[in-house]
Amino acid sequence: MGQLSRRGFLAGAAATAAIVGRAPAVLGQSVKELQVWHTEVEPQTVKTIQETSVAEFEAKFPGFKIKQQPLGWGDLNTKLLASLAAGSPPDLTHLNPFMTASLYTKGLLRPMDELVRALGEKDIHEATLKLQFFDGKYYGVTHAMGATYFAERRDLREAKGLKAPETYDDMLKVAAALTDEGKRWATQMPGEKLYMGFVHPAEWLAGNGGSWVDAKTWRPQLNSKSMLETLGYAQKLNKFMPAGWSGQKYLDTLAALSTGKISMAYLSGARTIGYIERYAPENMRDADHFQPMFRPHGPQGKVGVSALDGENWAVFSQSKYPNESFEFLKLFYKREHYMKYCHSVPIHLSPIFKSMLNDPEYLSNARIKKWRSWHDFMMKGLAENRFLPIGFSRPEDNQLPFLAELDGSGIVADMVVEVMVGSKDPKGEADRAQKRAEELLTQLGAKRWS
Amino acid sequence: MNRHPLVGWLLLAPSLLLLGGLVLFPIVYNVWLSLHDKHAFMPVQSFVGFKHYVYFAHDEEFWSSVRYGLIYAGATLVLQLLLGISAALLLNEAFRGRNLLRGVVLFPYMIPTIVAVILWKWLLNDSYGLVNHLLMTAGLVRVPVAWLGKDHIMWSLVLTSVWQFFPFVVVTFLARLQTIPPELYEAAKVDGAGAWRRLLHVTLPQTRNVLFVIILLRSIFMFTKFDTVWLMAGEGGVSRYVRTLPVYAYARSFTYLQAGMGATLAVMMFLLLLVATAVYFRLFRDEALA
Repeated sequence: MGQLSRRGFLAGAAATAAIVGRAPAVLGQSVKELQVWHTEVEPQTVKTIQETSVAEFEAKFPGFKIKQQPLGWGDLNTKLLASLAAGSPPDLTHLNPFMTASLYTKGLLRPMDELVRALGEKDIHEATLKLQFFDGKYYGVTHAMGATYFAERRDLREAKGLKAPETYDDMLKVAAALTDEGKRWATQMPGEKLYMGFVHPAEWLAGNGGSWVDAKTWRPQLNSKSMLETLGYAQKLNKFMPAGWSGQKYLDTLAALSTGKISMAYLSGARTIGYIERYAPENMRDADHFQPMFRPHGPQGKVGVSALDGENWAVFSQSKYPNESFEFLKLFYKREHYMKYCHSVPIHLSPIFKSMLNDPEYLSNARIKKWRSWHDFMMKGLAENRFLPIGFSRPEDNQLPFLAELDGSGIVADMVVEVMVGSKDPKGEADRAQKRAEELLTQLGAKRWS
Repeated sequence: MNRHPLVGWLLLAPSLLLLGGLVLFPIVYNVWLSLHDKHAFMPVQSFVGFKHYVYFAHDEEFWSSVRYGLIYAGATLVLQLLLGISAALLLNEAFRGRNLLRGVVLFPYMIPTIVAVILWKWLLNDSYGLVNHLLMTAGLVRVPVAWLGKDHIMWSLVLTSVWQFFPFVVVTFLARLQTIPPELYEAAKVDGAGAWRRLLHVTLPQTRNVLFVIILLRSIFMFTKFDTVWLMAGEGGVSRYVRTLPVYAYARSFTYLQAGMGATLAVMMFLLLLVATAVYFRLFRDEALA
C-alpha cells in the first residue's frame, strides 16, 4: 500500500466530509418534523387526518414530515404548559378557547388573518368565527364544532306525559317524575372538575343572566344572585342523581344513559350516539328513544345555554415552522379532506362552514341520516344562540386572560361540590369561593376593582 | 504529602457534583422559587420575599390539605403496619406453599400505580363495580354504595394505598424476622411463654429497629404520596375531600399556574417533615442509635 500524500489526504477528507454532511439527507434524517397536537383521539379521526391532509402535505413538502399527537383535553393542557415552560411548544396545536386569551395576552400566539380569509371569512359560522379575535386580528380558527346538551330517554319522559323543561322548576319536576330510586335516576352530571366545576357553572351563569366577572371591573361574580339561585337549583337536582356521581366520569354518564341507569345524561353531544349504538338494548338504538334536549334557564335568564365544544387551531410565536403550519391548515380545511374529517365522528365534528352544514354530500353520511334529528337540533340551537364556547358565561369572555387559571384552581368546583354533595349552604360557599377568586385574580394581576 | 488534600477533593468531586446537581440544586432552586411570584410557564418572576409563606399560614386550603394529609398518612401507616406485620409473621412460619405465597404477596407492590388505581376504581365503581354487585347480590345493600363519592372516597383511597404498599412492610419485617435466633423462641417456650407472649417479649423487641425505619420511611412516603391520590380523585369534584398537601402543591404549580406558590408549599411540606422526623428521632433515640 503506497504512502498517502498530503494533498490526497486532504482531498479524501473533504470528500468524506461532503458525503457525511449529505448523509442525513440521503438517509432521510434531515426531514423536518412538524409537530401537530390535537384533541381528536378517535382512531378513525387520526387515520383520516393521516390519509388526507397529512399525506397531501408531505407530498407537497417533501422535506417535511408531520407528527400528529392526539391528546385528551387534560393531557393537552398539561403537556402544553410543560412545552411552553421548556420553550419548545408544538408548531400547531388545538387550544380550548378559554385558554387562548391567556396565551394571547402573554404574546405567545401568531395571528392567522391570511388563513382565515383564504378559508372564507364569511362562510365560517358566527358561533366560532370571532372567538380568537383580538385587537382586530384572528389568532385561531375552530377545527370543528359540536354542541352539548342533555341526552334524554325521550320515550320515558313522554310516557309520563311531561314536556321538555324550560325553567329550573320544570326541570326539578321532570327529574322527580323520572327518578325511580334504586332502579333509575333522573340524571347524572360528570364528576370531572372541568365539567361540574367550570363548564356547567358557566352555562348556569349564562342561562340565568349572570357572568363570571363584572364586565368592567373583572370582579368575580361567584356570589351573585344568578349564581346563588343556580346553586340552590343544583342542590335540589342533586337529589335525583346517583350518590357517587362526583367520583364518576363523563363517559360513565353516557354508559349509564345507554344502559338505562339514568334518564338524562347531563353532558352529552353526538359522541353519545356511539355509546347508544354500542350499549343500549338492541331494539332501542335509535332516535325514537334517545334525543337531545336543551338546558332549562333560571329565573333571571331567558333561554337555557350549553357549551359548544370546538377547540381552535393555534400557531405559537415560538413555532419552528409557522408558514408550513398555515399551509397544513389550508390542506386540513380543503373541502374533500375536511368532509372526511367531519364524517369520521359525524355530528360531533360538525363543519364550521355554513355552506357545508346543509350540504347534501355532508348530510348523506349514513350516521347523520339515521340521527338527523340530532343534527337538526344543533342547527336549531345555533340559530337560537343557545350555545357558548366551553367555559364562557357570555361571548365577551374570550377577552378574559384568567379563565384557564380560574378553571385550574378548582375554586368553583369546590363550591359546587360542597353545595351539591356536601349539602352546604349555597350563600356561605359562594361567599367563600368569591373571596378565593378575588385573591386569585389579585395574585394574577387581573384586579381592576378597588 | 501536601498534595493529599487536593487528591482527596478530586476523588470526591464526582460524588459532590452528583449530589450537588441532583439533590442540592433542586432544593436550593425550589427555595429560591418560593420567594418569587412566578407564572408556571412565563419566563418572568418578581421577588416577593416571604409573602407566600405568610399567605399560606392563613390559607384555609393549606390547613385543610395538611389535615387530609395527616388522616391519609396516619390511616394508611397504621393499616400497612397491621397487615404487613401480620402477613410477615404468617409467612415466617413453615407451611406448604409458603414460597409461592411470599411471591404472590409482593404482587401489589410490583404493579404500576396507574394499574392499581384503575383496578380499584373499577372494583368500587357504583354503576358497574364488582364490590357493589357482590354486596347487592348478597342482599347486604339495597342501592349501590358510592365508594368513590364524598362520604367514602378517603377510605377507598386508604384501602387502595394499603393494598398497594403493605408488601413493603412484609418484605422488610420478614427479612428481620428471619434473622432472629431460634434459640430465643426455644428459651421462651421453655419458660412457658405462649405465642402472644413470644410476640410481645421476643419478636417485637428484636424487630424494633426495623420497625423504627419502616415507620419513618412509610410516614414520609405516605405524607408525600402524590400519584395514587391524584389518580384516584385528582381530577374529580370529589378531590375536595382528599386534597392532600402534595396534591395542593401540584395544583398551585400546574393548574393555578402559580409556580412560586407551588414551590412555597413544597418547602413547607419539607419543613413539616423535617420537624416531624426530628421529633421522631428524639422520641425514639435508642432505636435511632442502634
